[in-house]
Amino acid sequence: MSMRALCWHDVNDLRVDDVPEPELVNPRDIVLRVTMTTACGSDLHFIDGYLPTMREGDVIGHEFMGEVAKVGRKVEGVEEGDRVVVPSFIGCGSCGYCQGDLWSLCDNTNPNAALQEPVLGDTTAGIYGYTHAFGGYAGSHAEYVRVPHADENCFHVPDELDDEQALFASDAWATGYMGADFCDIEEGDTVAVWGCGGVGLMAQQSAALMGAERVIGIDRFPERLRLAEREAGSETIDYTAVDSVVDALKAVTGGRGPDACIDAVGMEAHGTGPAHAYDRAKQQLKLHTDRGEALRQAIVACRKGGTLSILGVYGLMDKFPLGIVMNKGLTVRTAQQHGQRYVPDLLEYAAEGEMDPSYLATHELSLEESPRGYDLFKHKEDGCVRPVFVP
Amino acid sequence: MTTQPNDTSLATADESATPSSRSGSGPTGNVGRWDRLGSAALGGILLVRGLRKRSLGGAAMALVGGALVSRGARGHSHLYRRLGMNTAGDEYRDAGPRTDPVTVERSITVGKPADELVPYWRNPERLSQLVGHFADVTTWGEDRYNWRVYGPFGQTIEWDAQLVSDRSDAEQSDGDQPDATHSDDDLHWETMEDAPIPHDGTVEFRPAPGDRGTEVTLRVQYDPPGGTLGTAVMRWLDVAPDVLVGTTLRRFKSLAETGEIPTLEANPSARGAGDLI
Ligand SMILES: [Zn+2]
Ligand SMILES: [Zn+2]
Repeated sequence: MSMRALCWHDVNDLRVDDVPEPELVNPRDIVLRVTMTTACGSDLHFIDGYLPTMREGDVIGHEFMGEVAKVGRKVEGVEEGDRVVVPSFIGCGSCGYCQGDLWSLCDNTNPNAALQEPVLGDTTAGIYGYTHAFGGYAGSHAEYVRVPHADENCFHVPDELDDEQALFASDAWATGYMGADFCDIEEGDTVAVWGCGGVGLMAQQSAALMGAERVIGIDRFPERLRLAEREAGSETIDYTAVDSVVDALKAVTGGRGPDACIDAVGMEAHGTGPAHAYDRAKQQLKLHTDRGEALRQAIVACRKGGTLSILGVYGLMDKFPLGIVMNKGLTVRTAQQHGQRYVPDLLEYAAEGEMDPSYLATHELSLEESPRGYDLFKHKEDGCVRPVFVP
Repeated sequence: MTTQPNDTSLATADESATPSSRSGSGPTGNVGRWDRLGSAALGGILLVRGLRKRSLGGAAMALVGGALVSRGARGHSHLYRRLGMNTAGDEYRDAGPRTDPVTVERSITVGKPADELVPYWRNPERLSQLVGHFADVTTWGEDRYNWRVYGPFGQTIEWDAQLVSDRSDAEQSDGDQPDATHSDDDLHWETMEDAPIPHDGTVEFRPAPGDRGTEVTLRVQYDPPGGTLGTAVMRWLDVAPDVLVGTTLRRFKSLAETGEIPTLEANPSARGAGDLI
């Protein structure tokens, strides 16, 4: 049996191909019929060729939901026909990290751990459709996807929620929410968020939900800044319209700086000025793979003793102003998303109408149209925040 | 791992043609670590795919893979360093038998008590699961195991091994190396006569601090083969044991903690079904 799936063939070469259907392999697997799946900014890292260990023909995509089609013999609590959303990092539920609610650090779900160890000194959890070093599992931009340890990774979606309302709990919302959670927000806190893409918007909304006094979104795209104002209730800074983002933040915080700064940009950060030119030049020469403008601004802007919450995906950035972090006594918190810890709460917020992330889905496309969806997404054309694909 | 100034190993020599060679660079190196990850990853895939294919083509794949893993992981060859050799490969083809044994050792912490873990290494079915990524293990008689490893040169390497100590006979052992840090659960096996690559191995179990379970150390010591097996095997042995020992431990932990081993069997891609690693 074959199915249609979006495959990576080379740098900037995505195609929809016929691939074999996934099967139940391990006893706690399910096979999910994907009903909705979305592109993520982190996909651009391997699409653009900055993240190695892709192979020609890999099925991509890691943020998804669907209906359970096949159930392994040792799965409990998940049945055929169930409508579930699945976090992008795969947890086992049994190791010390999963038990400690640090799911993206799971010890037991990356079959290619040996490929990560030389660089990281250890392994992350496996993830769907996101390079062989991160597990090599086939991704979700397909009609079907295999979900290991289904009892730990499938979360039932309340009937009253549309797919668009539940989908982003898989990754963008859980990641943004975790980023705000890292900030231990207290009454009167100001939280600044670099990036008004899916994760940045979710971080802003979550920070407000957690009681932040003020939330400030930073981006350069007018339609994204408008979304931050309208949907998240944020104040915004267009960094192309100010001389200095740091000065702008100091100006609106009585000279203190934000209590917490969230980087929801990562190595794709765009900026202006010499620091940006330096980063971009080095990146193009492949001397290093990260631009770090957003992170540097956040470190300088953050109030003394504040929190730096890093959600952006980085490679191995070789220029990090640790001295500023140290002298200002900043707390750095970061992780790939521990989705399983947050998804039940997120679905409850959605069901109770406290937060509705469906506005992120600016473009709904068929799977066949997904390469065009990635084009729109990458170039932020037509106000695209997240294209969602319906296989 | 640090790079010795005089460490001009085979792997380093091999990769000197590539722009990402590590030779001559400091500890941080200008070899992008991503690049090394790329090498390791691709190498690992080729290596293990090659091993699984059990064919001449697979052998070639495994060799290339091994070289890449080696380069990716360390940028130099620890076997050759241990042997004190620092010239290129052809000289080994007719080299005589080596006497210096090579030791590969890795540890992992498993969230279970030792008495639940020991059987994974004694029961041939469980053991076959642990090493299923490169070998088949069957048993003949008590504590005697037949290993078949599908080597990189299109042949099967086969040997018999015997468990020489475990808890049940610990009392009777004459304790040639008494050591307070070793528990009675430790297992030790040796290859029997005529093994093509004589080796012995130990699995040690120590309680981890707090409620972290058990620290398990797998140590394999082998005598590198001499001239008859040649350079290909030497190269293969330089990289494979390290990867295989580490991966075996990870598979063991996953099986013990979750009841299954993460796999890419039947994994869909435009290449077909399955990315066996
Ligand atoms: Zn993502
Ligand atoms: Zn786990």
